[in-house]
Amino acid sequence: MDRTQPEGPSRRHVIGAAAGIAAVPAVGSAAETGRAAQSDASGKVDMTLTVNGQARRAMLDVRTSLLDALREHLDLTGSKKGCDQGQCGACTVHVDGERVLSCLILAVSVQGRRITTIEGLAEAGGRLHPMQQAFIDQDGFQCGYCTPGQILSAIACVNEGHAGSDDEIREYMSGNLCRCAAYPKIVAAIKQARPQMAVSPGTPAKVGQV
Amino acid sequence: MAYDASDDPRQLFGRPTPRIDGVAKVTGAARYASDEPVANPAYAYLVTSAVARGRVAGFDLDQARAAPGFIDVLTHENVGGQVKTNPDPAGKPDNTTTLESDKIWHDGQIIAVVLAESFEAARDAAHRVGVRYAAEAPSASFDSPGVQVEAHKPQTPDAKKGDAAGAFEGAPVKVEARYSTPTQHHNPIELFTTTCVWDGPKLTIYEPTQSMWGLKGGLAKQLSLDPKDVRTVSRFVGGAFGSKGSPTGRTAWIALAAKRLNRPVKLIASRDQGFTIATYRAETRQQVKLGATRDGKLVSFFHEGWEVTSRPSGYNVAGVETTARMYACPNIATAVNVVHADRNTPGFMRAPPETPYMFGLESAMDELAYALNMDPVELRRVNDTQTDPVDGRPFSSRSLMPCFDQAAARFGWSRRDPKPGAMRDGDWQVGWGCATACYPSNIGPAAARLSLTPSGKAAIQLAGHEIGTGAYTTVAVTVAHALGLKVEDVTVTMGDSDLPPVPVAGGSNNAASTTNVAYKACQMVRDRVAGAAVKAQDSPFHGADPAALRLQDGLLRGPGNLSEPLDKAVARTGGRLEVYAENIPAGLPPSAAQGLYEGKMVMSRGTGRKDVTAFAFGAHFVEMRVHVRTREARVGRVVSAFAAGTIVNPTTAHSQFMSGAIWGLSAALHEATEIDADAARYVNDNLADYLLPVNADVPPIEIIMVPEKDDRVNPLGVKGIGEIGITGMNAAVANAVFHATGKRIRDLPIRVEHLL
Repeated sequence: MDRTQPEGPSRRHVIGAAAGIAAVPAVGSAAETGRAAQSDASGKVDMTLTVNGQARRAMLDVRTSLLDALREHLDLTGSKKGCDQGQCGACTVHVDGERVLSCLILAVSVQGRRITTIEGLAEAGGRLHPMQQAFIDQDGFQCGYCTPGQILSAIACVNEGHAGSDDEIREYMSGNLCRCAAYPKIVAAIKQARPQMAVSPGTPAKVGQV
Repeated sequence: MAYDASDDPRQLFGRPTPRIDGVAKVTGAARYASDEPVANPAYAYLVTSAVARGRVAGFDLDQARAAPGFIDVLTHENVGGQVKTNPDPAGKPDNTTTLESDKIWHDGQIIAVVLAESFEAARDAAHRVGVRYAAEAPSASFDSPGVQVEAHKPQTPDAKKGDAAGAFEGAPVKVEARYSTPTQHHNPIELFTTTCVWDGPKLTIYEPTQSMWGLKGGLAKQLSLDPKDVRTVSRFVGGAFGSKGSPTGRTAWIALAAKRLNRPVKLIASRDQGFTIATYRAETRQQVKLGATRDGKLVSFFHEGWEVTSRPSGYNVAGVETTARMYACPNIATAVNVVHADRNTPGFMRAPPETPYMFGLESAMDELAYALNMDPVELRRVNDTQTDPVDGRPFSSRSLMPCFDQAAARFGWSRRDPKPGAMRDGDWQVGWGCATACYPSNIGPAAARLSLTPSGKAAIQLAGHEIGTGAYTTVAVTVAHALGLKVEDVTVTMGDSDLPPVPVAGGSNNAASTTNVAYKACQMVRDRVAGAAVKAQDSPFHGADPAALRLQDGLLRGPGNLSEPLDKAVARTGGRLEVYAENIPAGLPPSAAQGLYEGKMVMSRGTGRKDVTAFAFGAHFVEMRVHVRTREARVGRVVSAFAAGTIVNPTTAHSQFMSGAIWGLSAALHEATEIDADAARYVNDNLADYLLPVNADVPPIEIIMVPEKDDRVNPLGVKGIGEIGITGMNAAVANAVFHATGKRIRDLPIRVEHLL
C-alpha cells in the first residue's frame, strides 16, 4: 500500500463495500468481528458499530451512510449533515483516529472500526477535550453547526502534524466550511489547544493526508 | 464594591463574556431542529421540477409505489386544495406555489413529496417518480426575452429632494456609471429541514427558523388552524442569514403528510433543493450619477436599481433608501424597478438592501475621488453630515468619520500612493481601498418572562433565536448585570413558540429588541423587590425612596452603603418572583403588541422614525494583491472599524463584525449563483461549485470597535451589528483592485478573467 494513502476508509473501500453487498454476505470488516452481516427480506442489515467505545447494534438499510446511522438510528446527533456529498465537512468523525466524512461512508463498511464522534471527546466527568475548550475560549464558532466537524478535524490536524504554522492550519482546515466565517478564531483555537494535546506514542504523525 | 447610583444602564455592558451555550455547541449537545428525537418518523423526500415554466401534465407513480418502504406520495392531484400559499418574504400574498396546483413557476419548485419508512427508501422512491411536463420557454434574468419590468411599489415614497437631474447637468465634476451584483444563496451549513408531529389537534413543527412566532402564525393560517394549536421549536439554528426568516412552501406539506400518516414526518431537503425551495439574494443592476463641486461637495445624487424577482411577487430590497442618506446632498433622486422572471421568489439575505446598493454607491464615490484627485477618505469627510439628507431629521448618532480615522490610522493609509499601479511587492501589484459601511438600527416589540429566586438564580424565557449571533449570551449578560448577579446564575430559555414572542431575528434588531425587553423585566423585578423592602419593618431600607435602591453584587443596595441580602429581599415578595414584560419601542403604535402575538413583522426601522434617523456606521480598509502574471487576486489584510452604540458583549460582537467583513470579501471575490439562461436553472447548486471562502482564503482581519454613546436610538443605546460588517466591503475590495491595477471592476464577483 502506498504509505502516503490514508489507511482509514477511503472512497475505494466504500465503493468496494457497496458493490459487494449483494454477492458477499460478510461485508467490510464484519468478518473481523466474527459475525457476518445478515440482511433480512426488507434489505436491512444487522450491523454493529463501535462508537465512542461502545458496541452499538442496529438493523439498518444497507444504503445507510455512517452519518445517518449515527444521527437517525444511534441517537448521536452531534455529527451534522450539511451537504450529504462530502463538500462541507460538518459530518467529520474519526475512524481509527483519522478524520473522515461520515456522509460518504456506508455504515456497514466500518463495522469493527473505532468510530469517534463529538459526543465521545469529553471525559466521563464532563471535562472538555483541550480543543473543545479552546473553541469556547477563542469564540471559534457562531451558530455551532459546523463546530463538531471542525473540532474533530482540528484534533486530527494537530495529530497529523499539520498544525505547524497559521498557514498550514488554514490549508489543512480548509475542508471544513464555516458559513458564519469564524475561520480566524478556529485557527486561534487550534494554536491554543495544540500544546495541550498529548501526542499518543502509538500514532506517529503521517504526511500526505488531509 | 460601592453602591452605584447611576441610572444609565449602558454601564452594565461591554465586558467580554464567553458564550453560555458554548459547551453545548462544542460537545454536540446543542439541539438543532433535525436533532430533535421523534418517535418512529416517516421520512419525506422532495421531488422538484426539472423545468422552469409550464405545468405538470401528469405523474407516473407506479415505479415509486413499488419501491421498498414506500408509504405515500403527495402531489397537487391528491392534496392540491388543502393548504393556503405562504406569502412572499415581504408578507404579500402573491407568491410562487408548490403543490397547490399543476402550475410551475420556476425550476426546482416542489411538485411532489414522497413518504417512506426510511430516508434511504424515500430518496429511492422519489427518484422513481416520473413527471410529464407541459413546458414553456422560461425567462431567466435580465435581458431574457419575456421578462416584465415595472417600477417597484414602495411602502414610503422613493427618496427625492431638489432637482437632481438639473444639478447633475451643471456640476463641474461628474461620475456616471453602471454596476451589477450577482445572484447569491445564503447556504447556511444546516440544511432546510422540517419535522412535524401531531398530538390530536396540536401540531409541533421542528424547523430551523429566525421567526418562531412568524412560523407559528404563518403555518396556522396556511393550514387553517387556531394559532394556539401550533408550536414551533428551534432551540439552535445552524446558520440562517435571512434564509430562515419567513415560512417557505415546504412546511405545510410536511404537516399535512404527518396528519395523513398519523405519524411524525421528517424532511431533510438536499443541498441543491435548498437553492430553489427557499429564498436568495437576487441579482441587481444599478446606475449611479454623482455630481460634485471641485472641492468635492456633492450637488447631485441619483441612484436607480433593477432587481429580479419571481413572476407573481414584487419583492425587492430597494437599497436606495439607505444610499440616499449616506452623504449630504441638496438634490436627490432615486428609483427602483423589479424584473419579473421565471424564478423562485428572492428574500432577505444578510444586509439585503445595503450589500448590493452600497457596492454601487461606494464604488462611485471612489470613482468621484479619482475624478476630483482627492483622497477617498477626505471625500467622505467633506460630505459627512449629522442630518439625514432626505428627511432632514438628525441621525441618532453618527460616528462615520471616527471610524474612518481610526481604521485609516491603524491601516497606515497615510502611506498610500494614490496613483493606480504605483504600489508593488515583488510580483504582486498592491492596492489599498476603502468604503463606508452602514446599517439601519431597527428594534421591534418583544416580550419576556423573568423569574428570580431568593437564592439569587434568575431564569428568563423568550422565544428568541440563536442563529450564531450569541443571542443566549446577550440576554444572559443583560439580566445578570441588571440584577447584580453572575452570568452563570442566569438561565436563558429560547427557541420555542410556547415562550413569549420576540420579533424575527432579522434586520439586526435582535440585540436591541431582546436586551431592551430583558432590561425592562429586570426593572420590574427590581421595583418589586425595592417596593417590598421600603415597606418592611425589618429592612434597612424601611421608609427609603424605592427608586434609589439597586440590585448589585448579589445584594439589594442603597445610598449610604446600606445593603440587604438577596434571599431576604426576594423572599419578602413571596418567594420566587416572576414578571412578564412587554416592550413596545417608542414610536410604534399600540397595535404593535397585537402584531407581535400574531407573528407579524412589526418593527421600528432606522429610516422610518419621526424623531431621528438611526444607523450604525463603519469604515473598511482593504489591501488587495494582484499577481502581475497570473492575475490571481488575493486579499492581503483588512482593517474595519464600526461604531454601533452600546456593545453588549464584545466577544460575540467582534465575531459578528469579523464574519460580516468576511462575507463582504466573499461577495466581492467568491459568491455568485450561475444561471443557465436557456433553462432558467441554477447551475452551481452545491457547496463545491458555489464558491464560499474556506479557511485558507481568509486574511488577517482587524476589527476596531469605536466607542459610541447613543441616547436616542433606544433606551439601552443598542444598535444592530449582525449585518453592517458585510456592507461596503465589496466596494472596498473593488476600489483596492482599481488602485492595484487601474482596472475599475463594476460587476461582481471580481474574478481572474476580469483582471487580464
